[in-house]
Amino acid sequence: MSSFLLKRLLQGVVIMAAMSVIVFAGVYAIGNPLDVLIPPEATQDVRERTIARFGLDKSLVEQYFLFISNLLKGDLGLSYIYNEPVLSLIGNRLPATLELVLTAVLGATLIGVPLGIYAGYKPHGFAARAIMAISILGFSVPTFWVGLILILTFAVSLGWLPSGGRGETVEFLGIEWSVLTLNGWSHLVLPAINLALFKLAIMVRLARAGTREVMLSDTVKFARAAGLSEMTILSRHVLKLISIPIVTVFGLELASTLAFAVVTETIFSWPGVGKLIIDSIKNLDRPVMVAYLILTAGLFVTINLCVDIAYALLDPRLRRGRAE
Amino acid sequence: MKRHSKAFAFAVALSAVATTVSAADLTVGVRGGPESMDPHYSALGSQADAVKHIFDPLVWTGDDLQLEPGLAVSWKPVDEDTWEFKLREGVKFHDGSDFTAEDVKFSIERIPSVTGPTTTEIYVRRVSEVEIVDDHTLNIHTNGPAATLPYDFVRLFIVSADAAKDYSTSETSAEGFNSGKAAIGTGPFKYASWSPKGDLVLERFDDYWRGPAPWETVVRKEISDDASRLAALKAGDVDVINYVSSADYLALDSDPNIATFIGDSVYVMNLQLDQREETPKVRAKDGSALAENPLRDPRVREAIDLAIDRETMVEIVLEGLGKPANQMMPEGFFGYSDDIPTPEYDVDKAKALLAEAGYPDGFQIDLYCTNDRLPGDGAICEGLGQMFAQIGIDTNVNAISKTVYFPTQARKEYSVFMNGWGTLTGEASYTLGSLAHSPNDEVKMGAFNRIEYKNDEVDRLLQAGAQELDADKRKALFEEAMEKTMADRAYISIVVLQSVWAGDKDKVVVTPRADEETLAYYIKPAK
Repeated sequence: MSSFLLKRLLQGVVIMAAMSVIVFAGVYAIGNPLDVLIPPEATQDVRERTIARFGLDKSLVEQYFLFISNLLKGDLGLSYIYNEPVLSLIGNRLPATLELVLTAVLGATLIGVPLGIYAGYKPHGFAARAIMAISILGFSVPTFWVGLILILTFAVSLGWLPSGGRGETVEFLGIEWSVLTLNGWSHLVLPAINLALFKLAIMVRLARAGTREVMLSDTVKFARAAGLSEMTILSRHVLKLISIPIVTVFGLELASTLAFAVVTETIFSWPGVGKLIIDSIKNLDRPVMVAYLILTAGLFVTINLCVDIAYALLDPRLRRGRAE
Repeated sequence: MKRHSKAFAFAVALSAVATTVSAADLTVGVRGGPESMDPHYSALGSQADAVKHIFDPLVWTGDDLQLEPGLAVSWKPVDEDTWEFKLREGVKFHDGSDFTAEDVKFSIERIPSVTGPTTTEIYVRRVSEVEIVDDHTLNIHTNGPAATLPYDFVRLFIVSADAAKDYSTSETSAEGFNSGKAAIGTGPFKYASWSPKGDLVLERFDDYWRGPAPWETVVRKEISDDASRLAALKAGDVDVINYVSSADYLALDSDPNIATFIGDSVYVMNLQLDQREETPKVRAKDGSALAENPLRDPRVREAIDLAIDRETMVEIVLEGLGKPANQMMPEGFFGYSDDIPTPEYDVDKAKALLAEAGYPDGFQIDLYCTNDRLPGDGAICEGLGQMFAQIGIDTNVNAISKTVYFPTQARKEYSVFMNGWGTLTGEASYTLGSLAHSPNDEVKMGAFNRIEYKNDEVDRLLQAGAQELDADKRKALFEEAMEKTMADRAYISIVVLQSVWAGDKDKVVVTPRADEETLAYYIKPAK
């Protein structure tokens, strides 16, 4: 197990190094941020002074090594737009995204998987057909449209819930959370539903397909022959057997949603990192773009590592196969 | 410590919002928020819009960008390169201290060490030395005659020299100002709390020199998405919003609870035609190179101008939220000429001119525009493409993000391109000096002339205007420069944009400002 982990960690480091080069070169290629940022009346000397102050007169290679040496010291630089350290800028907004995404992805999994198992268990029943029909909607309707409809229905017409923003927060472990207050939940519900719909549909379909396959397997036949109740079979055997693809997708969805919940965050004015990154791209705020993309790469590497560990725990064959 | 105080301020703000929502509180939904609480960090419009609640600029501008006394009550040139500014007496900072000439000098001198990439150095670029005559008089020495100095100062915000003295390097300014310690101004509201992209919470300053504001607490929420901002207004979460899109504006007309307020903006959409001998994005219809750049032929430029149906552009594309433009500034600005004819729309004449110029079958161009900077910019671009096709110029329309557009435009890789230009200072030297003067480092003009347009007569007029301290003579020089520039048609102005605010009909009355600022002090309670 430990050599397996070590190998994975090393792979992660190589991926991160490669990502840093690609990200840096890519962002550099878009152009000089000052062409977007500097005001029209800036005279040539003001312009040159500004370029020099931000180190933009240096070559790509010089800028890259400066960035890496600062990165190793834990310094990701100051945002051009906000003049604040990039890490604290992202760090201050991460809890908001984290609670939104966790609520959405966990909710989608906890509701989607049982629904999917049921639909796979009784594939021809009315309820199963209804579940599948609704899951198609979850796939096919665009997120931004659903978001606007949710706002129009629950905030504008009915007036039950706020139209956007984050609610009251309470400090816990030194971080501000809004999931701990009622007002916070009233703000969280709509964006979480918006974000969860697509994932819910995926979970339903995955669980259904897995269940249909597993129900025909020898394991289930033997379990039935042994006289186990259907409930026990589903919750102890079927669930375990279908969980590997579900864990994989859960990990991928969690990572991609954390990194790119942009659409939902924009529509609901949710003060998370998604809005920050999209605005930093619009303004060519290089330090934020680079730091964010590299952190995202780190996030994917970490989550994939966790998923691999989860495989090993779920499936003893994987553990034994790699330990020697 | 920093986190603690921020958290505390936030809690205070929240409890204020939660418990005392009353008629005296105003919540504004804005498209863009500030970048820093340090007013000298950025020259961006959304930055000035926000910090103007806390800090006053030295010179005030009225709704139509005319200069008015503010912290400075009067100003006059005393010799070739010196301006004398008289300051208002009896003005208090939020901490109770007096506003004096020392604060002005301090504010001007700290700019180069704290400003960000959207540099505010532009406001003080002409200043060589600040001399304090007495507590309320300053002599400002300039490098050469600086006729437009008072216009430069309309966004020169005055901070308290006492409160900000420890927070005036680029490392310390964000800490001092964003925590509120140094965010001490003379403006109508005191700073309560803010974090990047978060809500800006403001408290009324009772000793404001113009008299206290009508609102006790003002919350400015940053809601960048147009549809969400409108939904927040309809749901009653905010009282006023800015930048209502033209499509939404039509729908709002039928809503009995919401009032809309329309004002002319400072933005004019200008089509720009490359004047270099060789231009990259123009070719014959079969894709082969042309012998010369057709855009250098005045007949071709006139044909392009005649092909543009500005009325349709306003009515159909902008849903009526604009006006046809015949020059690069809106009416009434300093240097706007009344003698420039209204552009015609005449497809037949345009075709005849093209044929006369040797292009009876037209040619092919790539047209580039922004699509995410100003209302309708992408749609106007599409419209232009169709109109040019009518006279035989095949047009590949590329409406793209400003993030890509501006750097590429700066590298001069476009031939025909359109973007908005805002005359933010309200006078012509800002616009003509940057666009119409030929690029020239020596006189520091033509920085945004990306088409290498050069008319010696225009250059001469603009240089004379920059030195002319007599306002009437300067105005005449700029008007003439504007007329000559527009007659050459290297820049073709298409429309003046308008801007729309919407608000709760029973609660607010908004007076539109040409610079599109949404200032809570001037939003009046509805009767």
